[in-house]
Amino acid sequence: MTVSRDARANGRDAVDRGDDEPPPSAAEAGSDRPEPPDPAPVPVWRVLAATSTSAWREALANRAGFWSQIAIMIVNDVVWVVFWFLFFDRVGAVRGWDLDRLVVLFAVLTTSAGIVLGLLNNARRTGQLAATGALDAALALPVSPLAYLLVRRVEPVNVGDLFFGLGLFVALGDPTPTRVAVFAYGVACAVLILTGFLVLVGSLSFWAGRSDAGDLGFHALLLFSNYPVDIFGGATRVFLYAVIPAGFVSSAPARLVDDFDVRLALGTGAVAVAVAAAGATAFTVGLRRYTSGATWTRA
Amino acid sequence: MTIDRHEPTPAIVAEGLRRTFHRGRGADRQVVEAVVGIDLVVGRGERVAFIGPNGAGKSTSIKMLTGILHPTAGSAAVLGHVPWTDRRRLTRRIGTLFGQRSQLWSELAPRSSFEMLAAIFGIGRRRLGDRIEELVELLDLGELIDQPVRTQSLGQRMRCELAATMLHEPDLLFLDEPTIGLDLLAKQRFREVLVRLNDELGVTVFLTSHDVADVEHVADRAVVVNHGRIIADAPVDDLRRSVLAVKRVRVGIEHGHAADPVLDLGLPGVLAEPISPSLVRFEVDTNQTPIRRVLDTVLAAVPVADLSVVDPPLEHVIADIYEQPR
Amino acid sequence: MRAPARAEGAIGWLGPTAAAARLGARRAGAQPGGLAFAAVFYLMVTSVLAGLWATAADAAGGDIVGYSAVALVWYIAASESAVLALPQRLIEDVGIDIDDGIEAELLRPTPLIVVRLAAEVGGMLPRLGACVAVGVVLARIIGGPAPDPAALAIAFPSLLLAVTVNLAAQYAFAGAAFWLRDVRSAWFLYQKLVFVLGGMLLPLEVLPRWLELTAKALPFSAMAYAPARLASGHLEPELLVIQSGWLAAAIVGTAAVYRAGERHQIRTGA
Repeated sequence: MTVSRDARANGRDAVDRGDDEPPPSAAEAGSDRPEPPDPAPVPVWRVLAATSTSAWREALANRAGFWSQIAIMIVNDVVWVVFWFLFFDRVGAVRGWDLDRLVVLFAVLTTSAGIVLGLLNNARRTGQLAATGALDAALALPVSPLAYLLVRRVEPVNVGDLFFGLGLFVALGDPTPTRVAVFAYGVACAVLILTGFLVLVGSLSFWAGRSDAGDLGFHALLLFSNYPVDIFGGATRVFLYAVIPAGFVSSAPARLVDDFDVRLALGTGAVAVAVAAAGATAFTVGLRRYTSGATWTRA
Repeated sequence: MTIDRHEPTPAIVAEGLRRTFHRGRGADRQVVEAVVGIDLVVGRGERVAFIGPNGAGKSTSIKMLTGILHPTAGSAAVLGHVPWTDRRRLTRRIGTLFGQRSQLWSELAPRSSFEMLAAIFGIGRRRLGDRIEELVELLDLGELIDQPVRTQSLGQRMRCELAATMLHEPDLLFLDEPTIGLDLLAKQRFREVLVRLNDELGVTVFLTSHDVADVEHVADRAVVVNHGRIIADAPVDDLRRSVLAVKRVRVGIEHGHAADPVLDLGLPGVLAEPISPSLVRFEVDTNQTPIRRVLDTVLAAVPVADLSVVDPPLEHVIADIYEQPR
Repeated sequence: MRAPARAEGAIGWLGPTAAAARLGARRAGAQPGGLAFAAVFYLMVTSVLAGLWATAADAAGGDIVGYSAVALVWYIAASESAVLALPQRLIEDVGIDIDDGIEAELLRPTPLIVVRLAAEVGGMLPRLGACVAVGVVLARIIGGPAPDPAALAIAFPSLLLAVTVNLAAQYAFAGAAFWLRDVRSAWFLYQKLVFVLGGMLLPLEVLPRWLELTAKALPFSAMAYAPARLASGHLEPELLVIQSGWLAAAIVGTAAVYRAGERHQIRTGA
């Protein structure tokens, strides 16, 4: 995710002649006296820890607002659980899905969405940040801009999702040690997929200059992740697993928790890593086209 | 432009730096040449004002030099680093301050933001404490260091922003329109601080502005850019004796009195221009006649209701620089 | 800003009201991107929810609380049209407007709520049209022919009533911004009530009997359940009468909230 490595690999955008080397004049002039050695780079975890500490402090600056927003989101999530309760109460099990498994699905979804939208909130705003020139501040720091930005903002409303999801799994998800471990694995995969997908569609705005398509993609992914997509047949199911990876965000992890399967677990992990890598790559490549807000037009 | 061979690596070397943007889409798509070709060498310890009208390419240039934007063509070395390929290492050695973008967290006190920046730049706890004390002293921050940024005035905030920029002891400061939006007093204070940073710490200062006073009070060298090219490059001392010597005096005359007596003061280098029956503007070349003399003469000639002395707008100064014999 | 309806020179309310509606419709029509977004979003939501219910009905032996799989598809197509045609952040936007001060609008001769409601309904019509068009095709494809064409025919005016009631009620909720600083919480709760008690996510008959009766007695059922019930093949024209009653109540109630809010704003100068 570093800019430097990538920019060096890119010959087109950068420069006509020898941009890898400092221009002759500079090299010549500098030969008299060596530059001071670089200070040791700071480990990335320390940078991210410091940044997210500040993000938390900022979110908690208005403490009453913080907790009321969390409460609202929990109410919102409870309504969904009520819906599923009513649904399965009438319908019974549908193609292997019953209320118990649905609870796990919803717990995976709210926990991972809570982490992504709550703790990594800028993932959702990647397109906006790129289009409006808000990456400048991150680019002025000796850090990976993507990693820094992701942890730069905490959104209390969605932290409510996180609390709800964990609470739901503990209360109704039958949290045996094995199930907890698989749940954690599933959440990790879902976090990677959601973050990677959001960064990927948001990075489109480096090329398009605006991020409507990204917004729609985001809504679609979260919307479909709300449902056990396995109950659909044929093309719909393929679409929801392959095109919009919603199936891997919630349905696959929920199935794993209930009924572990090594192949599905590895497949979900592979998809997660692939989507995350795609997002990081799109961002890094797009950064070369970054215009710092100069071409942002409301066409 | 000559480089002193005994200096270390120049602060900035740019050759043929160029950047185009695409605007609009489809049939309306057009290519905008924001920076056409910038060649520039800035030595260590200089205070350079990079000036030009809005849209001249100042910000685009400064963003390429700080590694934020990739150029379309050309090369550059800032403190020996190619900014866009070596951005991370460069950011440890430069400070960047963009007038319209904050690096401080609005809900938090600057001290908290500094703690985060310290972690990012690898500044140890004890060193940070000392550094904050130094900066509070140097930038006269006082209590501001512990007040949430959103409660501060713009002028206060900009000083805190500058402190954040200086935290990691950069050798070179890039400032993009740092005084924009500040009131007169805050601007003056900010300029003094910049000069002090340069004098006391030897920090190279590179700032963009379209305020003539920034040039006059901060810079020792002015680089004028227009339509994406450098059109002039001169020591501010020279300019001070020429184009910057021109001041504008606006005189409002009390109701019921004619402006006629002041329309020709008979002083060398003073041009009067009636704007309305009771308002006269003088262009004064202070090399030929000191401002004081003009004011004395005017006050003696007519009853004055209102009076101000200002710099001419940057556009005029640039036009004058352009017309200078070189 | 929404609904900058101009009222100068108008004696009656009709002129400015109609003008506001036209302006709203033109503005929505001038943003084909927004319209396409709404249509695609509707398509996604409806196909997944209708698919869910249809699958459930098949699994349950072809029938759930008296609705066949086909009826459920038409039900969801209509209930989602009624809700998704509305601007999703209306309450927040109105709340922000009130927060920023709407004194200028309050001083105009035509009551604010009437003008704004007209502009909102006008602005929503293209979106409703798009959702209905997509919905009819979608329901025909994944469900089948409408169970009762006559009931479907009166579902269209019922849809219009549903969104108007919803808009008026949202304005009433947003009126909380006269007293509260942040209306987002009100919006969340309101939305959830429409989802469940309004019958957007499920036919109200799915609810336990006591909750079903409660839901049907509340105004939320006029916002989604009524047109959906009709579209799913139940020829119950009395639903239109109930909706009209709720519309009248909503307008009167909203006007009362805004009158009280104006007085509050003038008194506190906030």
